[in-house]
Amino acid sequence: MPDARRFDGLRRLVRSFALRTSLGIAAAALLLSLVGAGWGWLRAEAALRQELDLVLAGEAEGLIRDYEAIGPQALLDAARVSARRDALLLVLVQTADGQTLAGRMAGAPAALQGYATLRAPGEPPLRALGALLPGGINLLVAASLSAVEDAARALAWTPLIAAIGSGSVALLLGFVGARGLERRLASVSDVAGLVTAGDLSRRLPQSGRGDEFDRLVVTVNAMLIKLEMLVAAQRQVTDDIAHDLRGPLQRLRQGLEEALADRRDDPALALGIAELDAVLETFAALLRIARAEAGAGTRQAIDLSALVTSVAEAYAPVAEEAGRPFLIDVLPGLTLNGDPALLGRMLANLLDNALAHGAGAVRVSLAAGPVLVVADEGPGVPVAERDAVLERFVRLDRSRGTPGTGLGLALVKAAAQAHGGSVVLGPARTGGGGLAVTVDLAAAKRATVEPTQYAL
Amino acid sequence: MRILVIEDDPATADYIARGLAQEGQTAEVARTGKDGLFLALSESFDVIVTDRMLPAPDGLAIVRALRASSVMTPVLVLTALGDVERRVEGLDAGADDYLAKPFAFSELYARVRALSRRPAATSTGPTELMVGVLRMDLLRRVVTRSGNVVDLLPTEWRLLEYMLRHPGQVLTRTMLLERVWDFAFDPTTNVVDVHVSRLRRKLEGPNGPALIRTVRGAGYILDA
Repeated sequence: MPDARRFDGLRRLVRSFALRTSLGIAAAALLLSLVGAGWGWLRAEAALRQELDLVLAGEAEGLIRDYEAIGPQALLDAARVSARRDALLLVLVQTADGQTLAGRMAGAPAALQGYATLRAPGEPPLRALGALLPGGINLLVAASLSAVEDAARALAWTPLIAAIGSGSVALLLGFVGARGLERRLASVSDVAGLVTAGDLSRRLPQSGRGDEFDRLVVTVNAMLIKLEMLVAAQRQVTDDIAHDLRGPLQRLRQGLEEALADRRDDPALALGIAELDAVLETFAALLRIARAEAGAGTRQAIDLSALVTSVAEAYAPVAEEAGRPFLIDVLPGLTLNGDPALLGRMLANLLDNALAHGAGAVRVSLAAGPVLVVADEGPGVPVAERDAVLERFVRLDRSRGTPGTGLGLALVKAAAQAHGGSVVLGPARTGGGGLAVTVDLAAAKRATVEPTQYAL
Repeated sequence: MRILVIEDDPATADYIARGLAQEGQTAEVARTGKDGLFLALSESFDVIVTDRMLPAPDGLAIVRALRASSVMTPVLVLTALGDVERRVEGLDAGADDYLAKPFAFSELYARVRALSRRPAATSTGPTELMVGVLRMDLLRRVVTRSGNVVDLLPTEWRLLEYMLRHPGQVLTRTMLLERVWDFAFDPTTNVVDVHVSRLRRKLEGPNGPALIRTVRGAGYILDA
């Protein structure tokens, strides 16, 4: 179980908006900084080499000027000085066919004209510039490339460091930002869930920052206020009908009853009272459905297992007298926040239906969820009519002859929905046959948990 | 019995008063909540029947005022159609029973009688209930008929206990559902009838004398 929960949490994290967003931002930052810093590195390396080439060109030009002014001796002196001093700038004077006249330069080619990079084994790499002078003299100036290559090598890390740095900062900031957004959305969704479960007085909290979220909150809250007013109006109409009609109906009933007391055996009067009582029962059932739909009624912590057991056990002898096997399978200890009278009536309606319209064994089960199932082995309800029979006054053709208001399942649906649940009609066995009414009350249990409050 | 009826609708007030008179009871009628509360506080009644919806003070306010003044007279509150689910609210206010309008007089009268015989809340009650040949030992949890032990299931026990506490009174199906099963709703199936007939079979045997009588259109009586 803990493993399953951890796995569930992991799956939720992977699917979460925050993780996806921050990963996306981080990937973009990583790629951009890699490309940007890489391009910068290439440019920097090129600039360093160019710089070195310019230095060589300047040196060569100075020596050539000296050669023109003084003669070959100037070059030979410069070459000897540079070789003796192990100077940074190397000068080599050689004949056109590559015989060294003065100076030292590892790996120098013969008759070098223009730039070349010299890589002699065991020697630092050199950048050389060669010029062929009149008189068969080949002048070479060179400088070590080590400094440039060291710098380029050192700089080569920068794109990677920049990419990783900016990527992780983007990941962190993106996750924090998206997480905040997600929390604000979660609080919207929590409140919406509670409203759906019947608590119409819930409102979204405002952050006071006046941002887009606050504007959304204001709009949603206005919508909730409107919804609450509409529901209150509906409830008021229902209550008004109930209160305004009870007087006339009471007088009508007592008039009939008194007339019946005077004329004991008048069958018309007895029938009138029976008909009136049937009308009153239908009327009361409609009011109950309307109240349930409006979310009226009490909400208290209920031991649902005990309630289901007690209602089912009351029906057990009835089924037995009718020769119908009756099975009760209730998982103990299931609780929820709800209206016990409404839930009791809901189960009673389902059992009334199973006994009156079903056949064979009646099975009542309450499983974790909580999910309540009442099943029988009767003819069931055709697939096409399964949604319809949950509406008011809809009865199957074959049930028309039997007593009933056609409101039983409508109340079941209203009661389930008043607790945030749902009702599904299906076959009792796989492959069809029988009727199983499944009432899923899982949402009712969740509704008892206080939502986490975030300032929006 | 002396019964106070607080009801602002004249026709209904008359109907209740006349019905009670026919049953040989004395009814005092108050047409406003104010008069009703005054009468309830100044005179002594066995039961008070009050409408819930009255010009101020309403039925629940009257109950609260009575209980605040330590008047513990049993109160039956009449409420609007389909309002039975709200009886918890009324019972919390200190009312003893609830009945939705429109009602049959037989239902009202059965409830009034059940209330009038209710033992005071402070008394510990006997550990044995005896009616005729029936004897229920609440401590040893044994039921005997003419000395012979009768085995009862828990529900049958509760049903019989309630009947033994109200002998000679009509107990309606709704009352039994509320008191024995704690159901605030009426199943359309004959749940109560089946349980009563089972209890009856166990108590009376195949040829024994009838102990529980069916009152047509009303409910059941355990004959005293």
